[in-house]
Amino acid sequence: MSDGDPELSKPGSVRARTAGRALKLVKPIAGLRRRGNYLYFWEKRWFFIAMAVGAGLMYMPTPDGLTTAGMTILAMSVVATILFVTEPVPLPTVALLIVIGQVMLMGIESKEVARSLMSDSVLFIMGSLMLAVAVVKQKLDTRIAWILVRMTGTKTSRIAFGIAMVSGVLASFVGEHTVAAMMLPVGITLIQLTSNDPKKVRNLAAVLLFSISYGCSVAGIGTPSGGARNAIMIGYWKEFFYDPLNPDTFQYLIDYVHWMMYAYPIFLIQVPFVTVILLVTFRPEYKDLSRAVVKLRAQVEKQGAMKAGDWVAILIFFLVLLGWIFGSAEYGMGTIAILGAAAFLIAGLVAWPDVNSGVNWGVVLLYAAAISLGVQMKDTGAAAWVAQNFLDILAPLGMDEGIGLWAAVSLLTTTVTNTMSNGAAVAVLGPIVLKLAVAAQESPIVIGYITAVSSAFAYLTVVGTPACTIVYASGYLKTTDFLTVGWKMVVMSTIIMLAAAGLYWPLLGG
Amino acid sequence: MNDDVEDLDIDDINDTDKPHLARFRILVCIDGSDESYRGLRYAAKIAKGEDVDIVLCYVRPADQGLSTGGLQMDVARGNMLEWGLELPGITYLKKGRDLLMELGNLRDDWEEKAIHTDISGTSLGDNKIDYVAKSGKKVVLKLKVARDVVTGILDQWELGHYDLIIIGASARWNGKGLKGFFDPAVAEKIAIHAPCSVLVARDLEIGHGHLLCTDGSEAAIDMIKKEAYIASLCECPISILAVAPDVESEVEAQKAVNNARKLLDDLNVNVVETLTRVGNAVEEIVEAGPDYSLIVLADGGKNGLERFFVGSVALKVMQSAHNSVMVVR
Repeated sequence: MSDGDPELSKPGSVRARTAGRALKLVKPIAGLRRRGNYLYFWEKRWFFIAMAVGAGLMYMPTPDGLTTAGMTILAMSVVATILFVTEPVPLPTVALLIVIGQVMLMGIESKEVARSLMSDSVLFIMGSLMLAVAVVKQKLDTRIAWILVRMTGTKTSRIAFGIAMVSGVLASFVGEHTVAAMMLPVGITLIQLTSNDPKKVRNLAAVLLFSISYGCSVAGIGTPSGGARNAIMIGYWKEFFYDPLNPDTFQYLIDYVHWMMYAYPIFLIQVPFVTVILLVTFRPEYKDLSRAVVKLRAQVEKQGAMKAGDWVAILIFFLVLLGWIFGSAEYGMGTIAILGAAAFLIAGLVAWPDVNSGVNWGVVLLYAAAISLGVQMKDTGAAAWVAQNFLDILAPLGMDEGIGLWAAVSLLTTTVTNTMSNGAAVAVLGPIVLKLAVAAQESPIVIGYITAVSSAFAYLTVVGTPACTIVYASGYLKTTDFLTVGWKMVVMSTIIMLAAAGLYWPLLGG
Repeated sequence: MNDDVEDLDIDDINDTDKPHLARFRILVCIDGSDESYRGLRYAAKIAKGEDVDIVLCYVRPADQGLSTGGLQMDVARGNMLEWGLELPGITYLKKGRDLLMELGNLRDDWEEKAIHTDISGTSLGDNKIDYVAKSGKKVVLKLKVARDVVTGILDQWELGHYDLIIIGASARWNGKGLKGFFDPAVAEKIAIHAPCSVLVARDLEIGHGHLLCTDGSEAAIDMIKKEAYIASLCECPISILAVAPDVESEVEAQKAVNNARKLLDDLNVNVVETLTRVGNAVEEIVEAGPDYSLIVLADGGKNGLERFFVGSVALKVMQSAHNSVMVVR
C-alpha cells in the first residue's frame, strides 16, 4: 500500500488512518494498486532493460555481412536470452513475444510463423512430458527402490552408486525430470529412516540426493529421449544440413541408435566418478544404512505383488522404447512419444486431468518459439555471421580448430546452460555452433554432440537442470552445495567428453 | 482470499501512541535455516505479552516450469506426499510451532483452526493454521505460494499490516555469484520494500541489549518511540549511539543522544549507556554493533526507489553489519 509514499507509512498520521480504511475497502484490488507504484517497474526492470537493448540493436547500423532481417532476428535473440536468464516475466510470455516479433518486426506472414512453431522436436517434447506424468503416476518407484536395495546391500557408498546408476539408466530413456520426481521420495525416505534430525544426516542427504540429480543429469545425454535438448539438436541437424536430393547429407539424419553409440558410453563412464566425487566432497555421517534399508524393505513389501496395471504400464513403456529405436527414422520421435501418451490414456493408467495439470504447457510453447527463432537465425544468415565473428575471436587464441574449438564450444555451452534450462540453451546456441562448425570446417555432428552433451553440465546452479531443481525442493540442500560439488563435476564431465570426442568418436567414423 | 485483518482495526495497529489498545503483530519469515529460528526465538521474547501476535510464514515460490523441464514440480511434490513424506515448508513451520511451544508462547489448550485457500496454478495453495488463546492472542502458521519469496512476504504484509517483519539474512546477502548480480538477496529486498520495521537476523543472540543509533532527526525520534515499545516488550537493555562526521559537530551528536535519553526516560524506559563517536557513520555503527544483540536504526523516510538509488545509512549498515539490524519505519 504505502511503500511508495513516506507520508502514508508514518503511523498515527491522519493519512495513514484514512489509507488504512481505504485499504480495507479496496482489498480485492490491492495487487493492482501495488502494480501502480514503482515496485512494478523495479520487479520488471530486466524486461525494460531487455527491450531497450533490443531497440538499441535495431537502430544500430547493420554491420557488414549481416542483412537487416538478420540484425532484427539477432536483436530478438539477445532480448529473448536476457529474458530467459533474468525471468522478469513468466517465461511463456517470451514465446509469445517471439511470435509477435517475427510477424510484426520481421514481416513474415502469420501463417508461416504459425507453421514454423510445430516440428517433430516440439511434438516429442510434448509427448515425452505427458509420458513423464504417466510414468510417475504408475507408482513404480517403490518397486525400483526395492530392486535397488536388493542389489546394493546396505553400505552407503554402494547405495549411492546404485542410486546414481539406476536413476541414470532410467533417466537416459524417460528423461531426467521423470526419474528425479520418482526417486526423490526414495532418497528422502532413506534419509529420514536413518535420522529425523536433518542436521545429523546433512552430508548423507547431500550424497544420496545429489546421486539422484547428478545421476539423472549425466544420463540425460544418453539417448535422444533423455531430454528435450537432444531432440532439439537432432531437429537442427536435419533442418540445417539435410537435403532429400543429396545422398551425402543423409548422415545428418541422426537416429536413436546412432545417438546412443556416441553418447551412452560417456554417461556410463561418468557414473562411478559421480559417486566418488560425492563421497569425497560430503563424507556421509553413516557408512552403513542397514536400519533404514530394513525399514524401507518392510515399507515396500507392504505394497504386495505387482498388479496387472503395473505390468501393462511397463509393457507400454517398452513398446515406446522399441518404437523410438526402430520407428523414429520413419515416423519421427515425436509421433512415437505422443503414441505412447495416447496408449497410457487409452489403457486408463493415467487420467487426463493429471496429465493436464502435470505438464507445464507453457514450456512446450516456449521450446516451439525458441526453435522457430533458431531456424530464423539460420535462414537470415545471422547464425553464420555470429559464428564467423566468434571464430575470429577464437583464432588468435589458437582455438579455431580441433580440440581447442571443441573446448571453446563446450565452455560456451556450459556457461549458458548454468544460467538457463539446458533445453533453452541448446535451442539458442544450436544454430550458432552448427554454423561455427561449418565456418571452421569441422564436423557439425561432432560440434552438435559437444553442445548437446555440454548442456548437461549445469551442475552449478539449482535451476540448471530439472533434476537439480526437483531435488532441491526436498529442502535438504543449500544452493552453496551445488557450487561446492558442481565445479568438480564440470571438470570431470568436460575431460571425459573431450576424451570421448578425441579418442572414441573417430572410431565410429564421425 | 484469506483475511488476517478481519477483526483488527488498522488505525490501532499502526498507532503506536496507544500500544495497549492495539495488537502488535510480528511476521517471522521461516525458511528452515538456523537464522530464521533464532529470529523466531527473538520474536517469542517480544511476544511474551498478551497483546502480541506472531505469524510464521513460509513462502514457496510457484513453479515456473522451465527449470523442471516442463514437468510441474507438483508432480514431484504429489509423489512425495504419496510416500507419506512431509513437504519441507510444513516441516519448517511445525518446527517453529514446536519451538514456540517449548518457549511457552503457545499452549495445547489454544483453539486450532486450519484454513486452506486455493491458488490458481498449483494444487497445494495457501494453507494456514490459526492458534487462538482465550485472551485473543494468536499464533499463525502460514504456508504461502507466491511468484517469488519477496512478493509472497510483501503480499503477506498487505494482508496483515504487521508492525515488524523478522527475516534471517541469507548467505547471499552480499549478492555473490551471477544470480546475485541481478537478483539481490531476499532479506535485502524485504528491507528495501517493506512498509514496516524490518529486523534482519544475523547471529541474533538474545540478551546483549539494543544499540539505538540516532542522528537527532525527526525520523530518529519517531524510531526511538517505537523502539521504546519493542524494548519494553522484550525488556532489553538499551544503549544510545550518535556518530558525528567530524570533531566540531560532536556537540550536536551529544545533543541528539541526550534528547533520545530524555525521551526514553519520559517513557520510563531504562537507558544503560550513551555513546558518541566521530567518523563515518556506517563504519562506526558497524564496528560498535557486535557488542549488542541488535543495531536499531531509523529509516530516512525515503521511499523504496530513493532507498535503492541513493542508499541510506540504515541500508548500508544492514549490508555491512556483522550482527542483526533492525530498520524502524
